[in-house]
Amino acid sequence: MSATITTSAPAEQAAKLHDAKPSFFGIVRGELFKIRRQRTTWIMLVLLLGVMILPYIIEWTAPNVQSNIQTDPLHFLYNVLSVGMSIVRVFTGIFLLVLTARVIGLEYQLGTIRVLLSRGVGRLQLLSAKLFTVAVIALVLLVVGIALSYLLTVILVAGATGNLNAFSALNSTFWSDAGTYILTILVNMGVTILLATAAAVVGRSLAFGLSAALIFFPIDNIGTVIMELAYRVTHNNFWLDLTAYFLGPNLNTMPVPLTSGRVLAIGQAPLYFADQTGAHGIQVDGTHTLVVALVYAIIFAAVAIVLTSRRDVLE
Amino acid sequence: MTEKLMTAPGVANTSSPSGEVVLRTHNLSKHYGNRLAVNNLNLEVRRGEIFGFLGPNGAGKTTTIRMALGLIAPTSGSVEILGLDVATQRANVLPRVGALVETPALYLYLSGRDNLRAVASVLGGVPKARIDAVLELVGLSARQKDRVRTYSLGMKQRLGVAMALLQDPDVLVLDEPANGLDPAGIVEMRDLMHRLSAEGKTVFISSHLLPEVQQICTRVAIINLGKLVTEATIEELTSRHGEFAVTLDRAEQALALIQAQAWGRDAHLDADGALITPAPGERGRELNLFLVKAGFAPDTITQATQDLEQVFLHLTNGGSGEIK
Repeated sequence: MSATITTSAPAEQAAKLHDAKPSFFGIVRGELFKIRRQRTTWIMLVLLLGVMILPYIIEWTAPNVQSNIQTDPLHFLYNVLSVGMSIVRVFTGIFLLVLTARVIGLEYQLGTIRVLLSRGVGRLQLLSAKLFTVAVIALVLLVVGIALSYLLTVILVAGATGNLNAFSALNSTFWSDAGTYILTILVNMGVTILLATAAAVVGRSLAFGLSAALIFFPIDNIGTVIMELAYRVTHNNFWLDLTAYFLGPNLNTMPVPLTSGRVLAIGQAPLYFADQTGAHGIQVDGTHTLVVALVYAIIFAAVAIVLTSRRDVLE
Repeated sequence: MTEKLMTAPGVANTSSPSGEVVLRTHNLSKHYGNRLAVNNLNLEVRRGEIFGFLGPNGAGKTTTIRMALGLIAPTSGSVEILGLDVATQRANVLPRVGALVETPALYLYLSGRDNLRAVASVLGGVPKARIDAVLELVGLSARQKDRVRTYSLGMKQRLGVAMALLQDPDVLVLDEPANGLDPAGIVEMRDLMHRLSAEGKTVFISSHLLPEVQQICTRVAIINLGKLVTEATIEELTSRHGEFAVTLDRAEQALALIQAQAWGRDAHLDADGALITPAPGERGRELNLFLVKAGFAPDTITQATQDLEQVFLHLTNGGSGEIK
């Protein structure tokens, strides 16, 4: 340590430093800075980009793509919209799970949360600033994802047919459905961020937060399969009804009822079927899926807020 | 050991230093279930002091520090820094406090400089020149662009101190600041503490390096099992009141003579062969006269002292976590 330098700041700096206080947007700037400097962020973004492009390459190389476009361009574009947006929904979701778990869990794991809190940053101020930062990144991702999907669709159509005539088939219903789909992606992003937040706060570590967040949806989806098996064994509708309240299946199917079935969705949906003996399970509508997502979001947010504000920081 | 230091368990020896109190705990307590980690702790740290906070492992030092920094909520009592209650005024008071709690918590994936930038962003108003200055101060300028995961423990400790100094705080709370430092680093850290104090900053140090604490600190508090055992100046703690250290020839014969006196029964020889003895009338001059008349002309007579380590071990029952 230098023996010649004064420990105090020069007078002109000292007054400014003396008045310095943690601010919400200062914390957001700090979070963005840390996220930018993590190699993992950029690796995940490159992977996400690759995954987003992949379905268009598959579509491009599929047989009869030209005739499919020319025969029923609206149907083709609905398919492209469904697949493209589903990919954006699922993989931005995974990206946000990892990012949120890192942004919150790493702070606990490295113990740096005590550095920030001991500077006067409020616990909920820190949590909300972190969530705001992730939300901003989520919005940027969504915009980039939509722009990329649109651009790739144009390239696909132009490349396959030599013109963009297929786009003249697009009607106002299509654009409305596309808007609805985007809204469901936003809902998905919001719930996903809150899920990862709750997991990281409960576990107070990156390892636990990341594991719990990443395993939630697979368990949710596999749970639906298990419920189906339970129904087959017991012939009791209870097992099918239960799947109507699982988060993952509701998020998966959300765009379908909200667009009256004009778009497709990937992933396990809540179980329902009808036969000569009647309906089995609950046929979820758009409102139901939104309410289920909202309830889960409230639970995740409440867990994160209560634990963050009440627990001692022992890291 | 003087009578003053042999107080009943939990009874503090409060010296009465002057100066503005910048850190004060009021009946501070913390329970973890049935375990009482901190028990009704009352401390006062004054401006410009280098205050040592000592205790065996598990005594409640870090819990107290975390409560002072708003990381742990007290079960009862309060902490006041710069006249403001930490629980209700944390956003106003904690930016004026620099802290290093236990091992330095750093963003391992960032460089040393970027760690400081990340914290500076949160605080706002920290110019680039200040980051340069604190890096220079802790001797990390040459390694500032390297990732922290490549730093040694000592370098991480230095960066932790730099982080604590970033906003030019009025009060510094340092938990084991010399941890991981080599001997030269410890000397530099000592020098840094003195400079901070000289510039009017208050330094609150928790450390196990008692010889360092003895050299650095002006006042110390010793806690054990969460309770304050004593709070006094280093001089008060280490001086053997009414006892003198005498170097002379034929020390064993002199000791026998003194022990035969009513005032000299507690006399003994220390490890270096010096005679440690009370004096008639508790006056060094009287002791000198007595020895000269008896034919034991002393080479030196000084006020007897003891190491802080000895005091600490005595007060904490050998650091075993029991109150003596």
